[in-house]
Formats: sequence, C-alpha cells, structure tokens
Amino acid sequence: MDELKKKRLFDSAASPLIAILAALAVGAIVMLLTGTNPLYAYKEMFTKSFFKPYYLAETLVRSAPIMLSGVAAATAWRAGYINLGMQGQMCVGGLVAAVMAIYLPVHSLWGTALCILGGMAAATLIALIPTYLDYKFNASLIITTLMLNYAINHITNYFVAYPMRDTAGDGMAQQSVQIEQSLRFFRFSNKNAMNTSVFIAILVVILMYFVFTKTKFGYESKITGLNKNFANYGGIKSMKTMFQTMALSGALSGFAACIEIFGVRYRYVNSMFSSTGYAWTGLMAMLIAGYNPLLTLVYSIFLAGLNIGGTALQRTVGVPMQIADIIQCCITLFISVNFLYEFNKKRSGKCRKKVGKRWETGGVA
Amino acid sequence: MGDRRRRMNNLYLAAVINTTFRYTTPVLFAALGSLACTKCAVFNVALEGQMLAASFVAIVANYYTHNAFISLLAGVAAGAFVAWIVAVFQIKWKVRDMVVGTAMNLLVQSVTAFLMQAIFGSRGTVQGFGMVPLTKINLSFLKFSPFLYRMFEDLSTIDYLGYIVAVLIFIYFYKTVSGFHLLSVGINADAADSLGIKSQRIQIWAMVFSGILCGFGGVVHAMGNVTVFAENMTSGRGFIAMGAASMAQSHPLGAIASSLFFGTALSLSKTLQGYINSYFTEAIPYLCTVLAITIYGVVISTQRRKATIKM
Repeated sequence: MDELKKKRLFDSAASPLIAILAALAVGAIVMLLTGTNPLYAYKEMFTKSFFKPYYLAETLVRSAPIMLSGVAAATAWRAGYINLGMQGQMCVGGLVAAVMAIYLPVHSLWGTALCILGGMAAATLIALIPTYLDYKFNASLIITTLMLNYAINHITNYFVAYPMRDTAGDGMAQQSVQIEQSLRFFRFSNKNAMNTSVFIAILVVILMYFVFTKTKFGYESKITGLNKNFANYGGIKSMKTMFQTMALSGALSGFAACIEIFGVRYRYVNSMFSSTGYAWTGLMAMLIAGYNPLLTLVYSIFLAGLNIGGTALQRTVGVPMQIADIIQCCITLFISVNFLYEFNKKRSGKCRKKVGKRWETGGVA
Repeated sequence: MGDRRRRMNNLYLAAVINTTFRYTTPVLFAALGSLACTKCAVFNVALEGQMLAASFVAIVANYYTHNAFISLLAGVAAGAFVAWIVAVFQIKWKVRDMVVGTAMNLLVQSVTAFLMQAIFGSRGTVQGFGMVPLTKINLSFLKFSPFLYRMFEDLSTIDYLGYIVAVLIFIYFYKTVSGFHLLSVGINADAADSLGIKSQRIQIWAMVFSGILCGFGGVVHAMGNVTVFAENMTSGRGFIAMGAASMAQSHPLGAIASSLFFGTALSLSKTLQGYINSYFTEAIPYLCTVLAITIYGVVISTQRRKATIKM
C-alpha cells in the first residue's frame, strides 16, 4: 500500500515535470530553427518573468485573470459541461462593470463591489443562454459557447468604438474613458503593477478549492461529470447541476474580467480579452492541473510567467512572443497523454508477450 | 431607366450569390471532414486548427514557389499532418477529444502566428509578394445570361470540387463495402472489431481524411479570392462547420444544404456592411450558427415526440 502510494506520488509529480521539460525542448527546437540560442533565450525569458521584482509583479498581475478563468472553466468541465465561452463571458462582464463604473455615481470600495457584482451578473446571464439552449433544445454547448465568443467580441467592440469611445487625446485608440481613481484596486507602489486584485483572485481560487472538495455542490457536480446516469440514479438533478455549474462558471469569468479592469487597465479597451487570450491560457492551466483549483493557481502563475517572459523575449531577442503559447499548448498535449502510463503499459505488454499471454484486446484499451 | 435599375439589382443579387458560393466552400469541406469523423464515432474538434494550418502552409508555399498547385498540395498535406497528430493523441493514446482539440487549435494558432513573424517579418496579415491565387474558371457558355455568368464568375476549381466530393462521400458511405465498414465502426466499434474490422485504423484514417478535406477548405479560404493570410483567419469556421455537420445529421448531401446556409450567413455579414455597422454584421454568422443549431434541436425534438406518440 505504502509502495503504491509512493509510486502514485512519484507519477503525479513526475509526469508534469516530464511534460514541461519536453515542451521546453520543443520550444528550444523551434528557436533553433529561427536561429536563436535557446539557452540564452530561456535565461532571458525566466529572469524577465520570475527573478526580477518588476517582472515578477507583472507575472502575478497577469496570472490573476488567468487563474480565475481557469477555475471558471474547471467548474464547468469537471461537471461534464464543456464551457468554451469564458472569453465572451469575460467581455460582457468587463464591459458591464466598466459601464457601471463610468456612468453610475458610485465611489470607493462599495462602488467597486457593486460594479463587480453587476459584471458578474451579466457574465452569468450570458453563460446561461447557451446552457438553456442546450438543456431545452439540445444545441451543443461546445459550439454555442464558442460561437458566442466571436459574436460578443464584435458587439462589445462596437461600444468602445462608438458610444463609449474616449475622444480625449488623439482619440485614435478604441477604448472607453478611465474609471474613477477611488474605484480602482489599491496599488502598492508606482514602480510596478502589483495590486490587491492578485490576492483577491488567489483567495477566490482557494475558496473554490473548498467548494469543489468540501461542499454538496462540488460533490454533485463531480459525480455528474464522472457519470451522468449514475448521478441521476443517485438522485442528483442533472438540470440543477448544469445550470448551477454554468452560472458559477460565468460568474467567475466575469470576476476575472473585473479583476483585469479594476486592477490593471482601468478602462475597457477594444478586444482586450480576445487579443490577450486570458481565457485560453486559463483553460490550458486548468487542463494541465486536471481541474484542481490549487494546481490551476500554480500553473496559471507559471503560464503567466511564460507569457510575460515571451513578451520580454520579443522586445530584446526578437523571437516572436507566440513561443510562450507554443510551449503552453505543448505542455497541455504532453500532459494529456501521460507518457509514463503509456511507457509502463508498453513494457508490461512486452513482458506478457514473452510469457505468452495476450495483452492486447483489439483496439480496446 | 427602371429596367436598367432592375438589371443592376439583379446583378447585385448575382454577386451576392457568387460570394455565398465562395464562403460556402471552406465550410462545406470542413463539414464533410467533421461528418467523416462523426460517422466512425470520433469527435473531431481540431477542424479549425487543420484549416488554419493548411491556409498558412499554402501561403508559405505560394510565397516560395508562386505555383498554385504546389501550394494546394502543401496546404492539404499540412491539414492531413495536423489531423494525423490529433488522431494519434485522440485515438491511439485515448486522450479526451476536447483536450486534444482545443490544445491543437491553440497550438496551430500560435505556431502560425510565430512562423508568420519569423518568415515574413510581419504581424497581422501577409499579402502581395506576387503570390498567385487558385486557377479561376469562367463558364463561357453562360455568357447569354449576365445574371448566371456573374453568379458563377471567377469561382475556382476547388469550389466545384466541394460538391463533387460531397456526392463521392455519399457514394462511398452507402454504396461501398469499405464505407459500410466505416459506418459499422461508428455504430459499435467493439462489434466491428470482433468481426475483424480494424476499427482503430479506420478511425485514424477517417481523421486524416478529414484533415485532407479541411486542408482543401483552408487553402480555398486563403487563396480562393484574395491571396492573403491573417492571424487566426479561419475565425471559428471549423466550429461553424461542426454546426453544419450536426445540422445535416452527418449526411454528406445534407451537409451541402447546411453549408450553403452558413455560406449565406457569412456572405451576408460582408454584404450588409454597407447598411449596418460592421461590428454587428461581423457577429451575424456566429449568431446564425447558434440560432440554426437551436432550431435544428427544436425540429428534431418535435419529430421524436411525434414518433413516440405514433408508437
């Protein structure tokens, strides 16, 4: 038993490490092909994401919306409902929160809270539209959530291009005016972007860990994800779980957007959530973490660091910053296979063949 | 005067139909690829990535060779290659389809953006460089009617090929032995295995085939009209195609109809730009997709209800 536990612990620690190293190797090959020294590039990348205070602050601030949207995705995915619409939900949540902050006479902490609640409510409603369509009309959640991303992105961009556009300055940038000073999250110093939003995000993620593991809702959604029929048989109302998980997922996405707006940008900018790809990075982080919020937090910080390092790399070395995305997708792909398991299976398969027993049963693993 | 204006309007309509045909082709190819996978019980989410890879590689090949045919082959090969990777992950190593699909779509998106900067040194779009478009066909026997002539003006060979491939796939599925084998894998892979059909191999080949089809779609998308590549230029067409395939209930001939519907939505989003703000028209195809699969769901559920009442 002890041996088994030790082996399992080793596997759970080793397979992400192997995946990350393999992905970094892929990144190195790509960089070699473009004629860059990968060792130098990686050194640059990691010092300019984790090992200098300014960049570390950038990384942490960047990781906040990523971990929240990652947990938002995990909430829905672990219950078996594939929500790909975090990006659209973030757009709507962010826009509504920004509109409230700009046009309503709200001030200070309570004002911020009110705006965030408004944004979360809007994002929740947007997440519930595809849920309702799936529940009532069997319209595939995957397609509808993803299609709404594109539609919402275009429509929200309309608002900052026309009615809400900031005409001050040269007026070229498609963005709204800035929100009031008292509504912003507290910034610790003027030297870097570090602000309270990061801690709030981390707290929410830890809270979600307890929701996932210690509450009735968390248990029910997990069972629904594992086996819908069994959940039904056990008396879990799948409709209720579906709407609850999707609503929570939407609310968390909306919260992620608000964190970005009240903590970093202070305004709604054209395509601010689609061009940055927070939602997708969050999705990757949560897939690497296997739906676990605490691990999602860790991997979000890591992936945010890759992104920040990637932008630094583009500035200094001239390697396109998409190298960070390439590495991130490779990690997800490699970790999804669980090469250790495959390797062990192959080895034991060989052993069994020697003994003369049939191991392979057709195509069924 | 009135007569002339009517003729102008007619020609405008013909131009809109022409655009519709152009926008239909990529969706049709990808929808056929999607249903080829669905028919043997594989859920292919990476259509988008396969198309985008094909578009990009076709443009790169075009940049170096200035030969439309070589670009086409290169693009199709790229689509097939991406599909093969997805197949190995999804079918051989049993990774969840959604995980491989989304990761692969994002990977292709970032790899193409990366290589675009590495090769062309530009961000955003690649255009010009003396790149050639696909060979255009003009049906001169339609000259007698300006309307019909305009309707089919400057379509490429691949645009016509889409419909032919749909019919060929229909024949393959329902009239040939190996097509039946493929369908049997979709109905019950274990049963098919027990009868000596290598289900896994068929599934992998179906995936690669879908990659080839998406490759055609991607190449047409990049080189059919204006020869251009833009970052993430497929913008959800793979998923629109998934919607088209599911609306057609994975029937190849039905896919023609549903793809034409989405082609119309896509072309409307361009032609309505003169009348409605472009931010809203850009959203039309996506909202249409949501609406269409919802209506499809309503129709199917009422049909089922009627069927159960009859029983």
